[in-house]
Amino acid sequence: MTEITSTNLQQPRDIQSLRLPQNYAETIGVKKVLTNVPVGKPSNTRFFQTHPDAQMEFPTLIYQDKKSNDTFLVYPELANVLERLARPVVLHVAVDRQGNPSFIPVFLPDEGGSRNPWHESMAQAVILSKSKWVRINANRDNGAYDVKVAVGDLAPPQWPDEPITELLKIAFRGKIIDSADHPIVQGLDGRV
Amino acid sequence: MKYIDRFPAGVYLLDFEFHPIGGVEGNIPMPVCLAVRNYLTGVVLQYRRDQLMQMSEAPYPCGDDALSVAFFACAEMDCFLSLGWTLPTNVLDLFCEFRKTTNGLKPKFGNGLIGALLYFDFPAQEQASKDQMRDLILGGGPWSEAEEKAILSYCKTDVDALRPLLAFMYPMIDWPRALLRGEYMKAVSKMQSVGVPIDVDKLDLIRKKWDSIQDLLIARIDQEYKVFEGRTFKASKWAQFLERNRIPWPRLESGGLDLKDETFRSMAKAHPKVAPMRELRSALSELRLSQLSVGTDGRNRCLLSPFASKTARNQPSNSRFIFGPSVWLRGLIKPQPGWAVVYIDYCQQEFGIAAALSGDEAMMEAYLSGDPYLAFAKQAGAAPANATKVSHKAAREQFKQCVLAVQYGMGEESLAERIGQPPIVARRLLELHRNTYRRFWAWSDAVLDEVSLHGRLWTTLGWEIRVSEQINPRSMRNFPMQANGAEMLRLASIYLTDAGVRVCAPVHDALLIEVTVETLEDTVKLSTDLMIRASRDILSGFALSCDTKIIQHPDRFIDERGEHMWNVVLDLAQQDAPLAASPGMASLAA
Repeated sequence: MTEITSTNLQQPRDIQSLRLPQNYAETIGVKKVLTNVPVGKPSNTRFFQTHPDAQMEFPTLIYQDKKSNDTFLVYPELANVLERLARPVVLHVAVDRQGNPSFIPVFLPDEGGSRNPWHESMAQAVILSKSKWVRINANRDNGAYDVKVAVGDLAPPQWPDEPITELLKIAFRGKIIDSADHPIVQGLDGRV
Repeated sequence: MKYIDRFPAGVYLLDFEFHPIGGVEGNIPMPVCLAVRNYLTGVVLQYRRDQLMQMSEAPYPCGDDALSVAFFACAEMDCFLSLGWTLPTNVLDLFCEFRKTTNGLKPKFGNGLIGALLYFDFPAQEQASKDQMRDLILGGGPWSEAEEKAILSYCKTDVDALRPLLAFMYPMIDWPRALLRGEYMKAVSKMQSVGVPIDVDKLDLIRKKWDSIQDLLIARIDQEYKVFEGRTFKASKWAQFLERNRIPWPRLESGGLDLKDETFRSMAKAHPKVAPMRELRSALSELRLSQLSVGTDGRNRCLLSPFASKTARNQPSNSRFIFGPSVWLRGLIKPQPGWAVVYIDYCQQEFGIAAALSGDEAMMEAYLSGDPYLAFAKQAGAAPANATKVSHKAAREQFKQCVLAVQYGMGEESLAERIGQPPIVARRLLELHRNTYRRFWAWSDAVLDEVSLHGRLWTTLGWEIRVSEQINPRSMRNFPMQANGAEMLRLASIYLTDAGVRVCAPVHDALLIEVTVETLEDTVKLSTDLMIRASRDILSGFALSCDTKIIQHPDRFIDERGEHMWNVVLDLAQQDAPLAASPGMASLAA
């Protein structure tokens, strides 16, 4: 019988030099194209985090069309035209646990520095979500959102590669009120 | 410099004709003749058996500077071993290269030599005349002078056919990985030559009483189910049983019940009532027990059919190979006095491969924890950091089934069935897998993108699959794990057989080796180290761990999944009294 020993192995057998790469992702260059970035409060079933970097926040004016449920970006110079319908907010870049990006608008306090309890609780949820997975739930009896924080040691959020400017372009494609002739303004003025 | 120029001592095309010694399937081959053709000069040398038997080594150069070329070389290497010759250093197997080139494309005329010739539009001998000659040779002789001449001529035809095939395929050959596949064919021969030690007395006993055992098994177990007519399982009656017992059962696209063994196996886990029927069906699937290929020396030997599956795993005949689907039959494996058999398998091989190739650190960490299923539950936040197999048994089982479901490409419905939970629970588990192992999923998506864009996937050592028709996303996503797992076991087989370890057989992600009791400890350590080394080589440094199961004479190999059935069948076989009264039957039904 042949003696059993590793020295019987044929040398050299440099398997590493025969090895082919398996890094398919790096070789073929297929990239997921982001086509939709919703704007609004997150659903009550989804945990989310907002980006901790201030660069990923965008202070602006928005107009929320209740009929279509669309949110429009309003140019600052049109604030007077839309009056109180254009609301000052900070848009925060958020992702859910599947890495789907969205913008969460947090309404700014009024001139007196106060916010209604819904907006205040949302602002608190967003602050918490800078470092934790958070879920909100409307508590009508309390008139504010309940904020729930995930206690497990969950995987960190997967942020989009796109810069905030690109995300804004996708989120507000066709939904920017940039002149007094915009159909939304004309409708609000009773011109159409 | 062309790769082929690296062999100054020559390139030799060879073919043996042979038959199993004594005409008994399971015996090692007895060479009948050999033809060797020098690829460059065209000179063909032929040798008859009586000449071959007198040679102590092959009659042509087989060293580092020569190349031996064959089609399905393990048959040729079997003859080398049978003659006691040293195997050639360099082997190029055109079968392997043809399979690699056409894998997934379904060559019209099959994967044999004739199929390869016709695929490339070369003329080929008619299959019928080839079969006729093969039957003549397998008959074992004695042959008339004319017949001997015909056999020699037939042998020469095959080496003649190799010349244009090599010339045409040369640009397609994936040097130097092709030579590694050739090395595996040598390892296959060594494993085929060793074979698996079988308890022949018990095999004979079971074979003798198998007919009556089967009828009694059916009669007793089917009492509760009433789904058999004679020895025929009736799907319509099984549907009635399922309806009576309110068991939802997977269906095929056609609407019919999915009756695959795999389905029975997974359903038996969720619905214990199904388990005895699964065991019975599995036992009955070995109706051809007589076909189990056992040589006169009591060893199970059969063609391991290397590179036969799309993932290049071996695909030996279910009925001839002791490691076929009926796991209870493995109780027949028994080491000889003074020997042990050792089953060494990779722990969670597919999970480890997926982790390493995708570079998913969380997944690698889970693998290295030693219990990836529990680690996954912890990483997903479903179990605390101090959870153990015992404290979180149920959670671990669910996460284990989720990992397996991902590996099999199951959707939430199938996973729900498997864990006996509503689909929403399964959906949540699959979501947790995606969230926890994001890098793996991105890589898995890229695998699908690659095959969709370029119609091809490959392994670390060059095995390929091409896709010509509609892509099956589940099997494509799983291909890198399965096919690299196959590469790993091939490499391990080469390492162990080179080191002189007696490898009895490869079994999916495991090797069964045979060791004398005196050398048991050292050989098991060496073999395990070599298997780990193979994993490192395939996974670029990431080492998989191995489990060993040692069985020393007089114990026998028992697979726990089939232990109960083995005991019952053996009990029935050993009864002198009428079998119907056997306590073994009652035990099985219970």
